[in-house]
Amino acid sequence: MSQLFQEAIIVSLLASTIRIMTPLLFSSMGELITQRAGIWNMGVEGTMLTGAFAAYLVATATGSLWLAVLAAIVAGALMGIVIAFMTATLRVDHFIAGLGLNLLAGGLTLYWFQGYIQGRAQPTFSGFQDVAIPLLSDIPFVGPVLFSQRALTYLALIAVPAVWFLLYRSRYGLELRCLGENPKALDVKGLSVSARQYAAVMLGSAMTGLGGGFLMLGFSDRFLADFTAGRGWIVVVALIAGNWKPRGVLIAVTAFAFLESLATHLQVVGAQVPHQLLLALPYIASIGLLMGLRFRSGQPARLGVPYARE
Amino acid sequence: MIRFERRTEANALWTAVSFAMAVAAGLAASAALIATTGADVLQVFAALLQGAAGSPKALATTLVKATPLILTGLATVIAFRAQIWSIGQEGQVLAGAMGGYLGAQLLAGLPPLLFFPGVLAFGMAAGMGLGWIAAVLRNRFAVNEIISTVMLNYLVVYLLSWLLQGGPWGETGGTISYQQSPMLPEEAFLPALFGSSRLHAGVLLPLLAAAICALVMSRTPLGYEIRGLGYNPEALRHKGVNIGRTVTVIMVASAALAALAGAIELFGVAHRLRADNLLGLGYAGIIVGMIGGLSPIGTVFAGLFFGGLASGAVYMRVLGDVPASLVPAMQGITLFFFLCAGVMARYRVVMKVAVQ
Repeated sequence: MSQLFQEAIIVSLLASTIRIMTPLLFSSMGELITQRAGIWNMGVEGTMLTGAFAAYLVATATGSLWLAVLAAIVAGALMGIVIAFMTATLRVDHFIAGLGLNLLAGGLTLYWFQGYIQGRAQPTFSGFQDVAIPLLSDIPFVGPVLFSQRALTYLALIAVPAVWFLLYRSRYGLELRCLGENPKALDVKGLSVSARQYAAVMLGSAMTGLGGGFLMLGFSDRFLADFTAGRGWIVVVALIAGNWKPRGVLIAVTAFAFLESLATHLQVVGAQVPHQLLLALPYIASIGLLMGLRFRSGQPARLGVPYARE
Repeated sequence: MIRFERRTEANALWTAVSFAMAVAAGLAASAALIATTGADVLQVFAALLQGAAGSPKALATTLVKATPLILTGLATVIAFRAQIWSIGQEGQVLAGAMGGYLGAQLLAGLPPLLFFPGVLAFGMAAGMGLGWIAAVLRNRFAVNEIISTVMLNYLVVYLLSWLLQGGPWGETGGTISYQQSPMLPEEAFLPALFGSSRLHAGVLLPLLAAAICALVMSRTPLGYEIRGLGYNPEALRHKGVNIGRTVTVIMVASAALAALAGAIELFGVAHRLRADNLLGLGYAGIIVGMIGGLSPIGTVFAGLFFGGLASGAVYMRVLGDVPASLVPAMQGITLFFFLCAGVMARYRVVMKVAVQ
């Protein structure tokens, strides 16, 4: 255990926390946009899985990681269309729509994956490498933790203030929050509720898909079944724990990422704990966190309520 | 502009047409999916049918495969009818197998008439414990049951993984761990219905369970409360029903059904504790229950349908070309079209000129 407190280990622990945060940040900021628009999207897991799979397909087929990122974004947006169609147009119960999407995504990706690799060795790719920012990365301690990360990690960290600005400082964000709080107000002004819901869910799901894509391109070199392993659900928990505010969500995501990073490092230094217990930590923490939460003041008033004019 | 208008009353013909269209669309989409891998669509469908119902052996396999699906489907029906979106069936199936395995250690040596009910009860009790935890989390701590049950599912998966690898139940063959328990003794195999066939006695239980569910739902106060919780919990509360207690009863009963599926798989099919033949049964049960229209009888038919697909998929694999995961993909697609059909049945589509 004492090895855990050496500087090299602490730097590695924090650096990997930041790296693990990246996909969760993209996906949770995407889901924040979706939920602030009133759509209780439970399909995060399926959207991330689809993004990851699309990234894998394109990365192995073309060899271009940036095309793979684009594919993950497009795949996410397509899943967003499905969610929006079910919730905004058909007005299916939001929970059911999300669960259905997860099951659909799980089945389809596995099928296409098996079809893709059939009769050959599974193709792999080499993922993103660290990009050290000149000068900043030379700062002791802070440099290797913050400024020697994957390129998309910097983008994810910028995404938090960007989403905050979008939600609270733009006309589009005002309308978007209105979708979640009082869609009727938009409707009586002659502004289309469903068009705005589609736009919000597509934008949000595109970011969620990007999160899944980074999970693939930044951490792995191949796809496998249940690749996202519950991270989509962690995102949903982070949203509730973060009280539907960008800063709160950032804190919750950081906590989850730190736990996961801690678990891997405990394994590396050889702690005498079953590794399954370490892997289960984020899920135990989720339940504990939700049990302790006593405030949900930030929950959009019309979250999960299908809007109908009648 | 195309708009959906809610129908004031159900139209039986239109409902039937909607769901027939959903089946047709599901098959068409599946055909397109098969075509993407370059296989001959008709040949694949023929193989599926042959493997599902082409011989007595195929029919037996269909029944065996349908058994856990019907049970997890019924578990879904009970919970979802009350608008409790528990998706803990996945973990409860594993818990049922784990509890059953523990029971088999403790009750070894009892006569079969005591042993089998005993071990199935052990399995169901383990699942009920999980369901109870989720109910407490919802009632006392206001934790959304979707999230709590997903988290519990992952916890159970890791618990099973530990039990079989590093824990007390793993089969150790030299230095490699197989992530499975040793074989159960032959006395602990569920007896076959006909001689030496693979059709074990457990296939009768889902039918019994469905009949009980149907009776409870339509003829008892509990069934009334389940439906009432789904329609209007506020009215139910004003009638003096203890909502928290009802939620607990529903979640525990639902968990018992899902766990029974896991225990039957252990004693009837796998005969040893391992994860890979259990994973996915709970999630598939959600699809089966929903496609069954959240009715016990419908769930039996949906379970038989997907059991047939699963049995057909085993046969289809001999042909090559098409990945084995065609079945989960088809399940997801069919569910999607059924959700659409459910809406179509309630709405009429009207063309309107937008008035500004």
